[in-house]
Amino acid sequence: MTTIKQEGNQYVAYFEGRLDTAAAVTTAEDVKPLYDVTNSEIVLDCSKLDYISSSGLRIFLSIRKEAALKNNKVIVRHISDDIRQVFVMTGFVSLFEIQ
Amino acid sequence: MPQLDFHTQILLDEYHQLLPVLNRLNEIVSQTLEKMIQDSGIVVTAVATRLKTEHSLTGKLQLKGSKYHSIYDITDLLGGRFITFYTDDVDRLAAMAERVFTIDWDNSVDKRRLHQLDSFGYNSLHYICQVPKTLFEDPQMPELNKIKFELQIRTTLQHAWASINHDTGYKSDIEIPREYMRQMNRLAGMLELADDEFSRIRTELNDYRRRVQQLVQNGKLDDVLLDGETFKSYLQASPLDNFNRRIAAINQAEIQEVPLMVYLPILKTLGCNTLGDVEKLIRQNEDDAYRLARHQLGTTDIDIISSAIGLQDICIVEIMKKGGGKFGLKWLYDSLNGEGTQNEMLADMTLKQIENLPFMNQK
Repeated sequence: MTTIKQEGNQYVAYFEGRLDTAAAVTTAEDVKPLYDVTNSEIVLDCSKLDYISSSGLRIFLSIRKEAALKNNKVIVRHISDDIRQVFVMTGFVSLFEIQ
Repeated sequence: MPQLDFHTQILLDEYHQLLPVLNRLNEIVSQTLEKMIQDSGIVVTAVATRLKTEHSLTGKLQLKGSKYHSIYDITDLLGGRFITFYTDDVDRLAAMAERVFTIDWDNSVDKRRLHQLDSFGYNSLHYICQVPKTLFEDPQMPELNKIKFELQIRTTLQHAWASINHDTGYKSDIEIPREYMRQMNRLAGMLELADDEFSRIRTELNDYRRRVQQLVQNGKLDDVLLDGETFKSYLQASPLDNFNRRIAAINQAEIQEVPLMVYLPILKTLGCNTLGDVEKLIRQNEDDAYRLARHQLGTTDIDIISSAIGLQDICIVEIMKKGGGKFGLKWLYDSLNGEGTQNEMLADMTLKQIENLPFMNQK
């Protein structure tokens, strides 16, 4: 389940639970409003995200790709050590601003 | 506003009648200038057109209206402008304009070439142009091809000088003190020199890029110092593609392209001074880096990796072999991910993961 909230100048997507292949279809739909955002900061809040699979990484990459086209900045925040390790193992650690 | 004389009034009436055609001309010239920029690939700081307003035209006619017999004698009802970074680009755009528009050479001026040997001042290229029928023709608007317009092409520095000079008194009623004129001309000379230097630097940089690309193609990497330009050329030769594909094969993963320039300062800190050093670093560590990737990814079902994975793992291996330990890993993650305490924990986790790999015992 993913919720998107506008908080000041930021659009924050709150991810919860497991972002695996099963959840990816729904999540991909949930994050679509982010593709319409322009000239803003998009925050992917992972404080309640327990697990991310390749499908989840693809969703993050799509958000980043669309954001770059629309002059948005993407920040990934509050990720667990395990998920951070996934970003390192796959080489995506330098692609996102991770807070 | 003083009473307008009869002649001025006639010219203003002609202007009003011509306005729909002028607006159409404005659209055509604007689109043509934009297309010239697209086709040439020249980067400009501005491309714009402007139609003379009635107010501005009235002022002009009050000053020198008798000079014009008809509205078609006025050549700046429409003005177009390119502002470029480099003087070379002024010449390239001028050449393009000569092909696209009909140029009235008797009234066009290249002020860059007008100055005496010992004088400096307003530098700009002004072409008086018409739209030829080969570019646009509308039987409903035959006047459009008769109207002359002004095209101005100048560099950013020329534009700055001209704008400031205009703002501080050019064309005003008060005579400009000689000392002020001398100071402005000194500046014009300096800016002209700066313009030439920028063009020269660009030409030399392009030559340098070509030389580096040649050296990279010929494999003479030891002769190429490592810097932003050379690293970019090196990466264009895709030196890590095969290695990344080898890693991707572990999980039949797809590879997402990501920028690798962030590794330049890391490679420098790891002691690479030339592209040859980078090449050696990669080849000396790739088997161990492959073991590291296999160890990390092999037990997961992750089937997407970035094109940075190969170089990242090579750097991890190099740091470990040099005895960089946890501090070295944290420095790497700080460099890639921005400084933060979480990178210390990440370094701990990585160390624990790889502690039994063979290269961990080399120092």
